[in-house]
Amino acid sequence: MIEIVRQKAGELLNQGKIKGFIAPSRENGHVAPRLFTRVEELSTLNLGDSSSEGDARYPLDKILITLHRKYPDDCFGILVRGCDQRGLYTLYRLNQLNPDRVIEVGIACSPGLAKACECLKPFPDDAVAGDPVAPEGQKAVEMVEDMDMAGRFEFWMDQFSKCVKCYGCRDICPMCFCNECSLECKDLVSKGDLPVDIPVFHLVRAMHMADRCIDCGLCEEACPSDIPLRTLYKKTGRIMDEEFGFTSGINKHEKSPLSIMGPAPDKKGP
Amino acid sequence: MLGFCGIEAERLRARWVSSAEAPEFVEEVNDFISALKQIGPSPLKKNTAQNVA
Repeated sequence: MIEIVRQKAGELLNQGKIKGFIAPSRENGHVAPRLFTRVEELSTLNLGDSSSEGDARYPLDKILITLHRKYPDDCFGILVRGCDQRGLYTLYRLNQLNPDRVIEVGIACSPGLAKACECLKPFPDDAVAGDPVAPEGQKAVEMVEDMDMAGRFEFWMDQFSKCVKCYGCRDICPMCFCNECSLECKDLVSKGDLPVDIPVFHLVRAMHMADRCIDCGLCEEACPSDIPLRTLYKKTGRIMDEEFGFTSGINKHEKSPLSIMGPAPDKKGP
Repeated sequence: MLGFCGIEAERLRARWVSSAEAPEFVEEVNDFISALKQIGPSPLKKNTAQNVA
């Protein structure tokens, strides 16, 4: 799979279609994101696999936003999994990236990774490598829904109280690009206090993820307290689907129902 | 989302009331107050009290 990606990225660079290719790279024993600007560099290309598949993923979309803001006229290539591409579609929709300046090189995730993520779309459109596998069910959300109210309350308050307010979830999130963040608004979240304002901090983030979260799971991986953030955002995503028939980043040109003024749309799609 | 976190969803209401509709506003708030009294104190409040004690 990696050879196909390397070849594709090499072609794009050789043809001058892209200024650089964003992908993980293994250097000095570590996997980290890198902007490949010359074909020779591609020998260290990595798919985000350190010791097992997908265990060293990075918010490549977020790096692309930074590059795009600095070099709006240049075109960049980027390695995408299903979630990264959903992220790109969402960022196109939110006018953070220009689709004409991005070339996606997609890889499909293995059945094992799709299952571990409980992923809704473990493959990008037009994958150049890998075989698409079927989406997975969402057992983590159902596990919480099976609890009674008191159980849910206890579960989430226990989880939220572990928070050390490092802002790691926000900082790694490819969908968090706002210059001003509600989580830094002192009326919502007091400064310098721990434990964090519960459940305001986590629910504010969950609300803001409603039509954005592409379920890449980087927040949960970044969380030093292992709070199951992904389960929380999967639930917001599910509410969006139930109420509006909308799933963030699944269709390239679909607008968010939250950005449309007017009467409430019929359930399950317009 | 509140329900998912084990907090009664009835504790949150959003209503559009025009500034010209004072009686509607009063009615809505009174209704909300009586609904809240029925539900009782928030589980969050209890939690904070325990933390302080």
